[in-house]
Amino acid sequence: MGIQEQYRSEAAALLSSGEVKLVIGFGAGSTADRRRPLFARTPDEAQKFVLDAACIANLSTYLVTEGLLSDGKKVAVFLKPDGIRSINILISEAQLKPEQVVILGYAIENGKEITPLEGRNISDFSIGEQIRSLTPPPHILQEAERIEEMSATERFEFWKEHFAKCIKCYACRQVCPMCYCRRCIVDVNQPQWVSTSSHTLGNFEWNLVRAFHLAGRCAACGACDRACPVNIPLRLVNYRMGKEVIDAFDYCAGENSNQKPVLASFKQDDPETFIL
Amino acid sequence: MTRILLRNKLDDCIAAWQKAGFSVLAPVRRHEMSSFGEVQKASDMAFDLVLPERTIKDHFFPQTEPLIKYKISKHQIDSETMTPPDQKRVFFGVRPCDASGLAIDDPLFGWDYKDDYWFKRRENSVIVTIVCTEADDFCMCTSVKLSPDSAKGADVLLRPLLNGAGWQVEAVSERGTALLETISPLLQENSEPTAPLPQVAEKFDVEKVMEWLADPASFESQFWKDIALRCVGCGSCTFLCPTCHCFDIQDEGDTYQGIRRKNWDSCSFANFTMHTSGHNPRNTQSTRWRQRIMHKFNYYRGKFGVNSCSGCGRCTRQCPVDMGITETLQAISTLPR
Ligand code: SF4
Ligand code: SF4
Ligand code: SF4
Ligand code: SF4
Repeated sequence: MGIQEQYRSEAAALLSSGEVKLVIGFGAGSTADRRRPLFARTPDEAQKFVLDAACIANLSTYLVTEGLLSDGKKVAVFLKPDGIRSINILISEAQLKPEQVVILGYAIENGKEITPLEGRNISDFSIGEQIRSLTPPPHILQEAERIEEMSATERFEFWKEHFAKCIKCYACRQVCPMCYCRRCIVDVNQPQWVSTSSHTLGNFEWNLVRAFHLAGRCAACGACDRACPVNIPLRLVNYRMGKEVIDAFDYCAGENSNQKPVLASFKQDDPETFIL
Repeated sequence: MTRILLRNKLDDCIAAWQKAGFSVLAPVRRHEMSSFGEVQKASDMAFDLVLPERTIKDHFFPQTEPLIKYKISKHQIDSETMTPPDQKRVFFGVRPCDASGLAIDDPLFGWDYKDDYWFKRRENSVIVTIVCTEADDFCMCTSVKLSPDSAKGADVLLRPLLNGAGWQVEAVSERGTALLETISPLLQENSEPTAPLPQVAEKFDVEKVMEWLADPASFESQFWKDIALRCVGCGSCTFLCPTCHCFDIQDEGDTYQGIRRKNWDSCSFANFTMHTSGHNPRNTQSTRWRQRIMHKFNYYRGKFGVNSCSGCGRCTRQCPVDMGITETLQAISTLPR
């Protein structure tokens, strides 16, 4: 039995036994190479799930939908390691109760081989080591190194050209599991802290606010980068911020669910080099 | 015999338009994004694009636009109205759906109040549409009763020649005729055949869709809740749409001085309908998605006699969760009734 059939029947079983109220997975998309999120509430609907190497989205973002888990019932969700990492972060930030999430885990190797991951509860997965050593895809890494070598002026120009394109559609925020704030700072309008205008300055404000809010919280799933309709390489921003946090605090977000969020906790030996 | 413009005359053509005082904008790829941008020569243009990621709407209704500069002092308020630059522009290589988008929005911007920011730009712009020879999986102009060779919104219509050497040229408005006069020495008589149009299959029955939407019983249908489940409520589909036109007015500055701006806004956003009291009449994504569809295929038609969609397919092409108008309208047109 292939993984798709296996997970279809597991999803169906979870639904028919009443263990979960909903399974979030993938279905066929509008073209042959697209997959789209699919929500199954009945065993029959679970037969529509598709699971193959094109299922790259991080579905954990739906778990923080307002009201979804407030009835205390369980939801099952198809997740790759970056999705599992997201769950760890969300639990450590008290946004999810571990017992409410059933994980149908899978991994994609080399962009094509798809294998099931053992375990159903978040505590079954130890992804810590894997995450630490997780480097971004070679083209991202290369680009990151190229930017690192730029002068400050060149780097500023690089980002200015990219941020100038931003249209403040907030797709990056909406697809991100870590952007769960019910009222994002840019939506707070009494007073309007961050300008809603998408001129270059306003776009810098937005993108920098988001970068700071995700420092040490990003699961490196790349959802924001893929969602951005104007192709701003957002992954580079988050990768760099993540690296900064690892270097400064020896903290890698989402290694496990018992972490104390790095910017919300204090250790005696935290470096203080940034204090003038 | 018809007139043609050869590709190898395009540089001269751009120069002639510049000499006549126009800036020339065409599809370009810049900073990893395709859009309409100013060009100096033919090689700046990206002709291989089915459709640029960004629409030409950006150049008529920009994402942020300063309206008024103001200064408040003890006994008076000084304000200065800011108007868009009155630069004459040629938009070369616009696709029929994007050009139609402009025509679809004209009545909106001129309805109870004539929006100068839109119309000044419209009057200063000449639209040169290039008929499509290629379509992708998302194109759906035929589903909304337009076509890959629609002249709607165009001033000049170019039909690519079969041999790829240039375009058959036809003025479809007075402005277009005037524009062609500026390059008449560059045009030649020719009877080369034109390239065939791409097959763009009709994806839904828009009449059936409109009928269902017009039925008051449909408004509270469970259909909306089911179809919008995966929508994450970003603004991609609205901001990339050539016909979406909603905006917000914002004052930017401090208590004493600032700039009043017109910024794009989107019915996908929860804040869009948030009342000061905290009550939000569209408090779920499904009600917001319903609004988008109803606005495009019911309300707009009721008011202006035309659907607010030109079938460019961007809303599906760019949606991070593979939603879009197409799927919803397909589903509506096949609902049991
Ligand atoms: S910031 Fe981007 S890469 Fe990081 S978790 Fe959010 S969506 Fe994923
Ligand atoms: S997805 Fe891209 S364009 Fe949209 S707000 Fe984020 S950075 Fe800006
Ligand atoms: S349909 Fe897609 S692009 Fe539009 S708001 Fe929903 S998620 Fe965003
Ligand atoms: S609704 Fe979609 S297909 Fe229609 S014009 Fe807008 S972006 Fe294009």
